[in-house]
Formats: sequence, structure tokens, C-alpha cells
Amino acid sequence: MRVATDIGGTFTDLVYVDDSGKVEVAKSHTTPPNFENGVLDVLDRSNIDKEAISTFIHGTTVIINTLTERKGAKTGLITTKGFRDILEIARGNRPDLFNIRYQKPTPFIERYLRKEVNERLNYKGEVLTPLDKEQVKEVIEYFKQEKVEAIAIVYLHSYVNPVHEKETVRLIKELWPEVAVSASFDVTQEWREYERTNTVALNAYVQPIAATYVNKLNNKLIDFNSSNQNFIMQSNGGTTTFEEAKKVPINMVESGPVAGIYGAAVLGELIGEKNIIGFDIGGTTAKCSLIEKGEVKVSTDYYIERNDRNAGYPIKTPVVDIVEIGNGGGSIAWLDEAGSLKVGPESAGAVPGPVSYGQGGTEPTTTDANLLTGRLSAKNFDYDVNLNLVKEVIEEKIANHFDMTAEEAALGIIRIANSNMLNALKLISIRKGHNPQDFTLVAFGGGGSMHAPALAKELGVKKVVIPIASPVFSAWGMLMSDLRHDYIKTYIKRIEDLELNEMMAEWNEIESEAYQQFENEGILKEDVVFNRFADMRYLGQEHTVKVPVPNGDWSEKDVEVIVEKFHQLHEQNYTFRLDDSGTEIVNIHVTAFGKVEKPVIQKIDRNTTLEDAKIETRNVYFENPKGWVQTGVYQREWLPVNTIVQGPVIVEEKAAVTVIYKGQTLMVDDYGNLIIETGAE
Amino acid sequence: MEINETKIDPFTLEIVKDSLLATGDEMFIALAKTSMSPIIYEVLDYASGLTDAKGQLLTQGNGVTGFIGMLSFMVKQTIKKYGEKDELNPGDIIIINDPYGGGGSHLSDVGLVMPIFYEDELIAFSANKAHWTEVGGKDPGSFTNDSRDIFQEGLQFPSVKLYDAGKLNEGLVEIIRANVRFPDLSLGDMWAQVAALKTGERRVKEICEKHGKEMILAAINDQLDHGETISKQELTKLPKGTFTADGYVETDGLGNGPFPIQVEVTIDDDKFTCDFRGSSSQVPGPVNCSFTGLASAVRTIFLAITNPDQNVNDGVFRPLEIIVDERSIMSAERPAPTSNYFETMLGCADLIWKALAPHIPHRLAAAHLLSVCSVTLSGLHQDTNEPFLIVEPSVGGWGGADGQDGASGQFCILDGETYNVPVEVAETRYGVMLDEYSLRIDGTGAGEYIGGKGVIRSYRALTDEQAATITYGRNQYRLWGTNGGFEGSVNEFYIHKASGKVDGPYGVYPRYALQKNDVLKLMTATGGGYGNPLNRPAEQVVKDVKNEYYTTEEAKDLFGVEIDPATFNYQELDVRK
Repeated sequence: MRVATDIGGTFTDLVYVDDSGKVEVAKSHTTPPNFENGVLDVLDRSNIDKEAISTFIHGTTVIINTLTERKGAKTGLITTKGFRDILEIARGNRPDLFNIRYQKPTPFIERYLRKEVNERLNYKGEVLTPLDKEQVKEVIEYFKQEKVEAIAIVYLHSYVNPVHEKETVRLIKELWPEVAVSASFDVTQEWREYERTNTVALNAYVQPIAATYVNKLNNKLIDFNSSNQNFIMQSNGGTTTFEEAKKVPINMVESGPVAGIYGAAVLGELIGEKNIIGFDIGGTTAKCSLIEKGEVKVSTDYYIERNDRNAGYPIKTPVVDIVEIGNGGGSIAWLDEAGSLKVGPESAGAVPGPVSYGQGGTEPTTTDANLLTGRLSAKNFDYDVNLNLVKEVIEEKIANHFDMTAEEAALGIIRIANSNMLNALKLISIRKGHNPQDFTLVAFGGGGSMHAPALAKELGVKKVVIPIASPVFSAWGMLMSDLRHDYIKTYIKRIEDLELNEMMAEWNEIESEAYQQFENEGILKEDVVFNRFADMRYLGQEHTVKVPVPNGDWSEKDVEVIVEKFHQLHEQNYTFRLDDSGTEIVNIHVTAFGKVEKPVIQKIDRNTTLEDAKIETRNVYFENPKGWVQTGVYQREWLPVNTIVQGPVIVEEKAAVTVIYKGQTLMVDDYGNLIIETGAE
Repeated sequence: MEINETKIDPFTLEIVKDSLLATGDEMFIALAKTSMSPIIYEVLDYASGLTDAKGQLLTQGNGVTGFIGMLSFMVKQTIKKYGEKDELNPGDIIIINDPYGGGGSHLSDVGLVMPIFYEDELIAFSANKAHWTEVGGKDPGSFTNDSRDIFQEGLQFPSVKLYDAGKLNEGLVEIIRANVRFPDLSLGDMWAQVAALKTGERRVKEICEKHGKEMILAAINDQLDHGETISKQELTKLPKGTFTADGYVETDGLGNGPFPIQVEVTIDDDKFTCDFRGSSSQVPGPVNCSFTGLASAVRTIFLAITNPDQNVNDGVFRPLEIIVDERSIMSAERPAPTSNYFETMLGCADLIWKALAPHIPHRLAAAHLLSVCSVTLSGLHQDTNEPFLIVEPSVGGWGGADGQDGASGQFCILDGETYNVPVEVAETRYGVMLDEYSLRIDGTGAGEYIGGKGVIRSYRALTDEQAATITYGRNQYRLWGTNGGFEGSVNEFYIHKASGKVDGPYGVYPRYALQKNDVLKLMTATGGGYGNPLNRPAEQVVKDVKNEYYTTEEAKDLFGVEIDPATFNYQELDVRK
């Protein structure tokens, strides 16, 4: 049996698939700070036979929590002489342009724990000053006195030649084997010393806690079945073993959220959709990502705590390209100083939650608006809903200002929330040169299905899929995932100077490293699949375009094809191409998959009628034409397969609701997915 | 207003406004991603946005604060020259960099303006302005610190058509190619600017198609009124009265100066007036600033004080009034050189800042580095023998403020989403190595809340005959502290020659010749302190010493805390009681 658990802010989700291909889900509360207890709770709740677990896949928030709560280890840095302040100077940028009291992000390592040693390479990786080992030893002594728990090592130009970093690691392991050590060549091999240093500092900072967490969880799982295989979800949309995860724990920073996007790609493969927009609405945020030709896009342009007021902290680890905005079910609707309606990014959170929860929430939220307009039913809340209170709050805080009814205002809240989310969806599609008509929207999370049909139509997407297990879809995605490692290395080369032999040697080196890593994880060589990419640009440009390039040995002809592909992608992304301009490679990137056997998802066997599925007819307030409409409400699990239902219609399931509009149609496919034709032209 | 008559839905209006803002963002990102020049993609020394048909700014994406509002002046100049004569057509793109007539800064900042038509009606303009690495002129990198008139500073584009109804003016492109030192960079940036403008045009047309022309026009009006409303509300919260400050622009680069400047700020319930009369008249060297530049300086500080929503439009600035003498150093006229206009612009911003800092402590701070601290370094790469050109501002210390220490190593207020060049990138591209990039620890800027640290950035030349043009303003007068905080330091640089000789300190210097292994040591200022240093908590002073921000002697002399350097045990001295 394959089991996936995903720890979220409020709930810990579980999805499993048994040997017959049947999928079941369970949910329990998240249990900070001992998150592993929540995992055990949800295992209990699911009533599965724990000894029958053959594969256990886990998504965890322990890394991101450790970072945002500043609960990591006391960390020291060893770096090149002259450059210990790189971490504090950072890039000098100030997103909050007009703020004279701008506060710069505080480095994770204080100045007295940032130590310099004599050593120097030039940009070609040649040693100009050898490593002063005596200084390294002195620093180790100093760190011991200061009771440092983890050490980060970053030297300039180490992505070209890690010789000094390796030597420093060796010295530390020899003199102080207990301390956690993290050197840049093991974490990120891209240039730009601030970003690299910060990444390694954060990796070291979370290393001891990550190890403790993984070990604790592992010990508990061994109690059930010592022969099962345990995997952890990484930010790149693939998994790795518990042992490998502990080495570079920063790779788990977005462990949970990316799995849903990966799941959308897998689902697409199952139902024959290659181009997908994955869309996930939770309580506080909405996330979306574009999947082209079945490929989940991964980049290292990732930051934490970055927004339009704060520069944040860069982490150069491969993360699925996700655009996230502060708009979810709990997002608060408010009027700004000049009386314009805004929704989010502030959220009512789980406590007190929306007004409708009756737990002391006083601000109207998107969930409240969905309730007042009949999209949600008070019956399905876990709380006693006071509908009058919800109405009063929306009237008082929003409707009165515009001199309109509460339901008109509620619809306004939904429209503004949709507009915010639409901008995020446009950002990853139209604005990157893609035509939404070529894509299918796969919507999940607690709120995805409620907003997706309206948004898809607005965006010009013709088809929406609400997948099976949509409220716990991230866990479902984990269930279907392979092992994956991304290897990205800065390798600056003008195309005209490209030596094919040298280039092939680089690829081969990376690929043998990958084989080695997979071997450690128990994956056979024939189950390893590589995809190669080159980050390319026009000479003189800074930003790059990721170009898929062929596996195996290249010919001159291949290089021409690659360059042409780059021109095309540049034009698609940025509207123009410069045929006369030189091109260069900046990074080479290998994504390596270790394929594992996955369950075959069974078609559902269901003999029901529409009448069986019908719960009620209720009044729902719609926009076009504006007014209350008697709308049929159905239970998802009872809907007959391959039967077309005309909108407007509402489908309810445990923890989610789908709203289908007039002019749209609904059908349940063979697997139990809801397929909606949006009516977009 | 029309809104009431036609009963426009307030939420649709909001959605349209939001679409306009998103368009501004998209244009901004598009330009950075396709630019050829580090000054654009790293420094983000550019702005882009939309204005209405009258040239009122609707939305502006800024990489730097200094361009705030300059786009409207470019568009207004375009309207004056072409629009009023009915000579604007769909597909036109106008190029403009004339500092006095609509450009506003210096020739290096090249603006493009594109009218947007829908159903034959002029609806809006999309516009952008970007710092080109090269526009010709007497020195590599074009902007220089010892020019004597505008003609030495490069090509002038006095609002002319680059595209006429969609047709490219090939002759103009050839003139540019022939007159600039790195034509691929400059023209590459120009194409990137054109692409971004077209994106803006396309999006505005889409919004028109979706929501109708009337709706977009209503949204435009509403947007501007919204900005004004918010500004006025903030204005009522400010202290009322008249506040004054004076200061200096230290040098014009030709050895003249210092030049006195002054301001009288008057705040009442619906007006914010800055009167600069009595300041120095325009000067021979290139620190002159045009009125447009001055307006941007005033707008920057006004936004810092009122701190509204970042969605800035011309409505926000309606309460502003600026009074200035003609042909002054901050309202210069042709043919005064303006290459380093930003030093005077900063001086003007600093005057208002200094006048109000004691009265608005929750929004302001002590003085920051007060100079763009620009560095231009050219020469040949040691391996490729190709010419390289570094054009970059420098980071320095910001002032302490009520409740917080100043930030260390930040670009000045006129920059913004500006990024320093990574050491590894610089050493790969340019014929230099860096000996250090570190915080400058000089014992200044003490206070209850200390000034942020300046930095030391040391470039070692790897080939002979490199030329460094350095403009480190604020080299003589130390940065002011406030509310009892101590002064910070000054910006300066030294040259450590391969021979062992040390030359300096200097502030502003044109074309200093560097030979192989000479080291250019650039040092920026520590910010001013806020509040009496004796009030800084002793435990914090101990941390400062442990982190080597101050020495044990300074802890004792400035902060009144005696610290044992071995154990970090401490004792508070009587002077603190």
C-alpha cells in the first residue's frame, strides 16, 4: 500500500491507494510543534493496516516553519577573506521605494559568527591564494567556544572549482565530527555570492532540526513495518529518501504545496491533457503554475519573506514555478481610505476564521460572501452558522458604503477576489506568451473548485477539471510522484566558443553524480530518466530562458537546433528575437527522475442516477443576469458517470463545493473527475 | 462626474483600475527581462507606465524613485509638440531625452512615448524611460562629472518620431549607431523599450474591448481622484506650519562650490508647498538639475512622508506646490550641463527631509549617504582583450530613526529596486578583481539608534590604462544626526597604487588612470544617528562590540559602557545615569 501524508497549516491530510488501485482519504488536525504526532493521528484515523504500508511519502512544513519562526540552529559561516559582510550587505535593493525607514532583512548569521579565511580563486577557478588551513582550525576552535551547532562554508567562485570548500569540509569532519556542515558546492552551484551564501546559511540553519524531525518520524514508522520505503517531497515536485533529505534539507522548503501541481501533471497524463494550469486555493492564498507538454517547470528564483515592501531572502534551490497571491477563502474584504473595495491579502486565518464560523470573526471574508450568495450551504459548516450575522457584517462593512444590498456586495467581494486571482493566472499564462485556449485548468484545494469555472471562462480556458480527492490533492500528487533531483550548475559559455567534448564531459559528470545519488536511494540505473536544459540568453542580457536540449552526444547540427529553439522561446516569452545577436549558455540543468512503480488508478464503478445525487434546490445569487436563481445541488460521490448536466448547478463534496455557471456543462468522467466545459470562446 | 450619471458599477471600475495597474507591472517586468545593460537589469534604472490622454500619470512601475513623475513630463512635451497639432498617429513612438524639455534628468535617460488609440480616439499613452549605458558624448558611459555644457554629454533627442505610424525611422537608428560607443547595448535597450510600450498598448486595447471605452475613461478619472483623496487625508495628519532647512551642493565637478541651497516647507490642510527661492543659480559644471528633476525630488519626499498606497498617480501630487527661482541650480536651463543632476536632486530631497525630520519622526530618519555614489570604470578585459564598462551606483549607510537602527549598505533614496553587481559576476565580466566588499567601520553615527554602515568596495585593476570616473558627492559635510544622535561620516575614495603609494581621499574625480594592480578603494558614508547614544541599552552596546560594529573604546567614550573585550562583561558608567 502506498500512503502519502501532507502537513498543512490547519490539517494533516492523508491519501492512500491500495493494491487494487482504490483511493481513500483522511484528515486530522495539525499538531505543532510535534508535527509527527499529527501524522500518526491521521494514520490512526484512516483505519489502514499500518503493517501493510509499503511506501510512505511525506510532505512537511518543518523547514519553512523553522525559517519563518527563526527556530533554527546557531550557525557560523566560513568565507573568503574580505567578504564576510556579503550576507549583511546583500544586494542593497529596497522594494519599498518611498520608505525612509526601510528595514533590511536581518542576516540569519550574526557578524561575530561570520569568519574569514585566506583563500582565493579567480573566475576561472584557478587558485590564486591557497587555503590557509591553520585559520580554518582557529575558526573551528572559536565556533566550538561559541557553541555553534551548524557551519556554512561559501568561498568565491566555488561553483567553478570547489577544491577549498571540500578541503574545509574535510578539516571540520576530522576535527569536529558532531557539528552539522553545509558547503555551497553541495547545495547550489550557481554564481552570485550573496544568493549562494544565503542559501547555504539557511540550509545549515535548518539542518539539525530537519535531521531530528526525519529521524523521529522514521523511528515511529519503523515500529509499524521496518521494510517499508520512506520518501519526502521536495520543492522540485519529486521525492527523495529520508537519508538524502537530511543532507540538503533546504530542498524541502516548499515540500507540500508543489505536490498538487505535480499531481495535476500526473492527472493530465491519465486523462490525456498535456497542457495544464494547476490552480490551488486554500484558506489564505491561491497558487498557480503552468505545465506545458506535461512538464512541471522548476527554477531557482525562489525567495522567502519577499514582497513589495521587503527584499526577502533568496534560496537558490529548485522550486516548482508557482505564483502565489494572498487570496483564499479566509481573505478579508475591506474598504481602503478612499472607499475602494479590496480583498486580501490579510486573512481571518483558522482562528477566528470567517464570520460564518461564529468563532469571533468580525471581518467579512470571501467564504462569507460565498455563503451569503448561496454558493456554500450553512449545513456543511462544522460550526453553527448565524446567517443573519454574516449578512449584517457584509451590510455594515461593505454594502452600506455603496448603497446596495448585502448580496450585491457579496457578489462584489467574489468578483474582486476573482479579479485578483485572474491576474495571477494571467501572469503565468498570457503574459508568458501562452494562449489559455491551449490549456486545461485543474483546480483543487478547499476553494479551487468554487472559483475555477468562472475564472477559466474569464481567462479563455475551455475546460476545467476538478480532480478526484481535490480537497487533499497535494497528498494525492505525492502518491503519484517519482524521485527527482535537479542539478544546476553555472557554466558560462558563448555558443561560438562551445567545445562539444568539454560540454559533453560536463553533462556526463552531472549524470554520473545523479546515478550515484539514485543508487544510494535504491533506484536501478534503468529506472533513471534525464531531461537536460540550458539556461541561455543573448550576449549582454542578464535574464535567461530555459531551453530543453537533447540527451546524449551533440553534433554541430544539434547546436544549431538549440540556438533556434532559444530564439523561439525568447520570442514567445518576450515578444522579440535578435537573430544577429550572439547567444550564450549561463547554467546547465539536468532534471533526473528515479521512476518508481505507481498504482494504476482504477475507473470508478458507479450505477447511480442524477436523482440519486440531488441534495436540494436552493437559491444562488449570480451575476449574469444578476439575481437569485433556483439552482440544483448535487452530491459529488453520487453523480452518474458520463452524464452531462447543464449549469447553473452546484456540486458538494466533503470539504469542497463546485459552482458551475449558466452556459457551462458538467460531466463526471470514468475516474470520478468533474469535467466542466466553461463556455469560453 | 460621469460615474453618477451612467451608474457605473463600482466593482467593475475597481477591476478595470486593477487591470491598468497590472499592465503597468507587466510593462515594467518586460523591459528588465529583455534589456541588454546591467544598468537596467541590475540597477533597474528605469521606469515605465501609462498616462491618460492629457499626460496625467495613471500607473508607474519604478525601479528607482528618482523617475517618479518624469513620465508625465515626457508625455506632456509630446502632446505639446505633436498632439496639439493633431500630428499623433497610431503606431507612433516618440523618443526624448532633452533634460529641459520633458526629459527631466540627463541625456543618458532615454524616454519613449507611444500614443494609444482605440476606435480612432486617443485614450492613453504608454511611456518608459531607461538609463542607456551609452548615448555618446565626450566620455565612455556618457554621463560625466566635468562636462561644461550639454553638447559634451551625448546625443540629444528633442522629442522626435522614432516610429511614424508604425514605420521605423531608419535614419535615426543609424545616427544612434554611429554616435554611441556600445551601439548593441543602446539599441538593444531601445528595442526592449519599444517591446514594453507595445505590450502596454496591447493591454489597454484589450481592456477597452472588454469593458468599453467609457468604462476605462471612468476608471482613469476615478483612479486619479482616488490618489488625491488619499493624499489629502494624509496631509491632515501632518504637523502644520512652516519649516526650513539649508545645505549645500558641495561641488560642480569643475572645482567650484560649495553652492548654498535652501527650502521653506509650508504645510496646511490641503497644500504642501516647497519654496526653494534664494538657492544658488545654475552652475558651470554638470550638477544642474532641471525643474522636472526637482519635482521628482519633492514628490519622493512627499510620498515618504504621506506614505500612501504604492500605486502612485498624478492625483496623489495634486496638493503639491513647488516655487523656485528661474535658472537656479535646481531649475537649470539650456545649455547647462546636467550629467550629475541627481546630486542636486538629492540635495533638494534632503532639505525637505532635514526640515521635517524632527517633526515627523515616525516617517523620517537621520541623514543617509546622500549621494548616488556613481562609479564608471572602463578598460580592457585581461583575458578577452575586449573593452568593458562598469556603470554603477554604490550602497552606503542610512540614518538611525526613532525605534530602529539605520540600514547598512543600501542605495540612496533616489535608487530603489536597485541591485549591486555580484563580485562573481563583476570578476567574470570586467577586467578587475575585488579585494574586499565589506562594511565600513568608522565609529561614527552613534545614537540611541545608530546609523547604518557604509561599505568598502575595492577594485583591483587587472590591466593597464583603466579609467575611473567617480562621483562621490557629500564628501565634505558629514551626514547629520537628529534628536541628539551623532553625525555619520562622508563618502570618499583612495587609490592604493601597485607601488605602495596611497592617493586620496577624493570625492569627485574624472578619469583617474589606473594601472595593473592599482586598487581603487571606494568607501561610502555611515548614516547619522538618532537620539542620545547614552540611551542605547547597554546589552545592545555589548552586542555591537562583539559584532565589531564599534570598538570597546567607542563603547566607553560614546555610549558610556565599559566592556571587557575577553569576557564581554560590562559596566555602565556614571555618565549614563
